[in-house]
Amino acid sequence: MKKDEFGVVTFKSTHHAIQGESIFKKKEISFRTIPTPREITVSCGLAIKFDLSAMDRVKEMIEGNELDFDGVYKYVKNNGNYSAERII
Amino acid sequence: MRIEVDARGQVCPKPVIMTKKELDNLSEGILTTIVDNEVAKENVSKLAGSLGYEFSVDKGKDNEYYIHIKKGEVNGEVSVCIPDTFKDLTIAIGSNKMGSGEEKLGNILMKSFIYTVRETTPYPSSIVLFNSGVYLTCEGSEVLEDLKALADEGVEILSCGTCLDYYNIKDKLQVGGITNMYSIYEKMRNANNTVNIG
Repeated sequence: MKKDEFGVVTFKSTHHAIQGESIFKKKEISFRTIPTPREITVSCGLAIKFDLSAMDRVKEMIEGNELDFDGVYKYVKNNGNYSAERII
Repeated sequence: MRIEVDARGQVCPKPVIMTKKELDNLSEGILTTIVDNEVAKENVSKLAGSLGYEFSVDKGKDNEYYIHIKKGEVNGEVSVCIPDTFKDLTIAIGSNKMGSGEEKLGNILMKSFIYTVRETTPYPSSIVLFNSGVYLTCEGSEVLEDLKALADEGVEILSCGTCLDYYNIKDKLQVGGITNMYSIYEKMRNANNTVNIG
């Protein structure tokens, strides 16, 4: 079975998630808007999924206070098991 | 009994309607529909296939096609085999937004919904899209990747031809096939469950 890893940014509200989307778009970081994975139950229902290779750029945005986020996670899907590890 | 339906010069969905009407009147025998374009040929053939009738197609001169449909005893039940990866479910999407309300929210919810469908098995057996829902299967859609992945898994994805035509995006279609109201209703009717999203 394949193993799938990606980054997830969660937000405090849906409005923040929509805002986050446009920031990711502006920065040209490829992303997907997804329902917040069940393993990360807190925060609002929408989250942004991104490739782990973009993690440094996401951290940069956060350090520069550009992104109003709630949490950043590394999400791993392995053999039908899911786990999320909070990074920020 | 033999009947001929001349649907040359008729635009979609007229040839299908004409054929269906004559088929309904016919108790047994062969019906031949003549059309003069490939789309009509495909649609009439699909109709015959979906009704469980045997049919064959002859190509005439130019772009003319003769579709011979044999109406008689249907060979057993027309059963669709649904493997475990699929649920006998049709998802009908009538808008490029999910629910009514603010546009921005509706857009983001739809993206999130399609992503969820793609991430969850069993998959629906088919997804039919109509009205502004057809924007989702066309160039520029943010859910193309998911819909393509679903199509690769074997989910039947069908966009309403009338709608693509109305919005003038027929040439922008990126995933799945083009369909008409008969097939849309048929997908809804034949599936054990239909979920409407729009």
